[in-house]
Amino acid sequence: MAKRLLEFRDRTAVVGVGYTPFTKDSGVSTLTLACRAILAALDDAGLGPGDVEGLATHRVGDSAAPSLVGPALGLADPSWYLDQFGGGSVSHAVVAQAALAVAAGVAETVVCYRAINARSEFRMGGTGRGLPVSPEVQYQAPYGYFAPPQQYAMYARAHMQKYGTKAEHFGQLAVTQRANAVKNPRALMRTPITLDDYLASRWIAEPFRLLDCCLETDGACALVITTADRARSLRRAPVLISGAAWGGGDSHLSGGRADPTTTAAAALAPRLYAQAGLGPADIDVAQLYDCFTYSVIVQLEDYGFCAKGEGGPYVASGATALDGALPVNTHGGFLSEGYVHGVNHIAEAVSQLRGDAGDRQVAGAEVALSTAQPGYILPATSALLLRKG
Amino acid sequence: MPERYGRPPQGVRPTPDRDSKDWWARLAGHEFAVQRCDTCHTARFPPRAFCPVCRTEDWRWAAVEPAGTVESWIVNRRPFMPGASEPYIVVLVRLAAVPGCLIHGGWDGDREPEYGQAVEGVYADMGDDLALLNWRPTEWHASP
Ligand SMILES: [Zn+2]
Repeated sequence: MAKRLLEFRDRTAVVGVGYTPFTKDSGVSTLTLACRAILAALDDAGLGPGDVEGLATHRVGDSAAPSLVGPALGLADPSWYLDQFGGGSVSHAVVAQAALAVAAGVAETVVCYRAINARSEFRMGGTGRGLPVSPEVQYQAPYGYFAPPQQYAMYARAHMQKYGTKAEHFGQLAVTQRANAVKNPRALMRTPITLDDYLASRWIAEPFRLLDCCLETDGACALVITTADRARSLRRAPVLISGAAWGGGDSHLSGGRADPTTTAAAALAPRLYAQAGLGPADIDVAQLYDCFTYSVIVQLEDYGFCAKGEGGPYVASGATALDGALPVNTHGGFLSEGYVHGVNHIAEAVSQLRGDAGDRQVAGAEVALSTAQPGYILPATSALLLRKG
Repeated sequence: MPERYGRPPQGVRPTPDRDSKDWWARLAGHEFAVQRCDTCHTARFPPRAFCPVCRTEDWRWAAVEPAGTVESWIVNRRPFMPGASEPYIVVLVRLAAVPGCLIHGGWDGDREPEYGQAVEGVYADMGDDLALLNWRPTEWHASP
C-alpha cells in the first residue's frame, strides 16, 4: 500500500447530511433535487453556500452536473469539481476522491451529492431508455439480457448452485431490512413483510422475485466533507473518514479469472482495512450496497464477515438484524428505504455514528462500513470506513 | 408437464465495435472464433486488442468448437423490452476453449438448464448477415 494512504486516515470528516423526501414522482428536475439536498446538508453542518469550495457527483447521464449546480446555487468559482461517470460502483469513490481533495488542501469544504429521478424519469432497469453504453452490451442485449435485475439474478443463481444459497436466505434479508425501514420515517416502504410475502412476490427474473429488487426512487442526498480540524468547530459531532478505497477486480466475462460468485470487493477489502487499521471484527454497523438481496450476501463474504459461501446462512441466523452481531442496512437499504445510488448508505452510516438514528439506532456504534455496488456489472467498486470522531 | 419457454425478443441487434466487427462477421458465417495471442498463445474472448497476460498486440483468430458448461441461467419473466411476453431463458456458459471465460447466450433446450451441464452452441441466423449463438445440452449426442 502506498504510504501516503495511511497518512490520509482520519484527516477528513463528514460534517453534514441532507435529503429530499424519497418519492415515486418528485415532480421536479434533478437539478432542483440536488440544490435542495445540498442546502439541507449545509444547514445540517451549520455552514452556508459561501463555504463550498468543491462539488462532486456520479451519474450515468441522468442528473445535474456540478457545473450546473454551482451556478444554480450562486457559488462563485468553486476550486474543485468532480463529475464522475458511473453507477453505484463509483458512489463511494466520489466521496473518497472528495476527501483526498480536502486532505490535499485543494478545497477545504466539498459537497458530494446524487440526485435521481429513477422512477419518474430515468429507470435503471432499462424501461423507457436506451441500452447502457459498454462494449459488453453487444454480447448480452441480443439475447434479451441487459437489465441489472437480470444480471444480478444470473450471479445469484451461480452462488445458489455453487454454495447452496437458498431463496429463503434472500427472503430473510428482505424481511430483516423491511423491519428496519418500519423504524425509519424517511423510508418509502414501512409495512412489515414476512418470508411468505417474499416467496409470494411475483417473479422478475428467476431466481429473483419483486422483493429481491431495490426501489426505483426519486430523491437526492448530499454529504458535506471537510478537514477533521475544521470539523471539530462545527455544529454536529464529526464522523471521521478512516479508510476510503476504490479499485478494480476482474471482469466476470473475460481475463481468464472469471468467478461469478466473488466480487471486486474481495480484492479491495484488505486494502481498505489496512488503510484504516481496522478489520471486520471492529465494525459495529454496515451499510452494504443492496441493489438486490444477493449483493448483500456476497459482500458479507467478500468483506470478511463470514466464510465464502456462508453469506446466506449468516443472514438466516439473524446476525444482520438490528439486534444481531452486525446490523446491516439499518435504514432499510435500497430495498426498503429508497435508492439514491449509494449515497443514502453513507448518510445512514453517518447517522448511526452520530447516534441520531432514532428507533433504529445501534447502541454504541463507533465504526461503520459503507459500500458501493461490488463490481459485477463493471469490474470496479469502492467503500468507506467511518469512525465516530 | 414442462413449461414452454419462448425466445428472447428479436430486434435488439448487436452494435459491433472496431475490436469485435470481424468476430461478428465470422459468427454470421457459423464460425465461433476466439483470439489467440501470437506471443504466449493465450486464448481470449471477447475480442480485445491486447493480450491481458503478456500485453502484446499480435494475435490471430482461432476457430474453436462452441462448447462449454452451464455456469448459471435466469428465467426472464418481466418484459424489460418490447416484444418479450413469454418467459425466456438466458444462460451463462463457461467456455471450454478459453479457460476462465464466460459467455451469454439464449437457451435452446426443452427443459431448464442444470448447473455444470455440458452444452454446445447452436447458430441462429437473424438475417442481414447476423447470427447469434444459442446453447443446447450435448448429452443426447453422447452415446454411452
Ligand atoms: Zn499473450
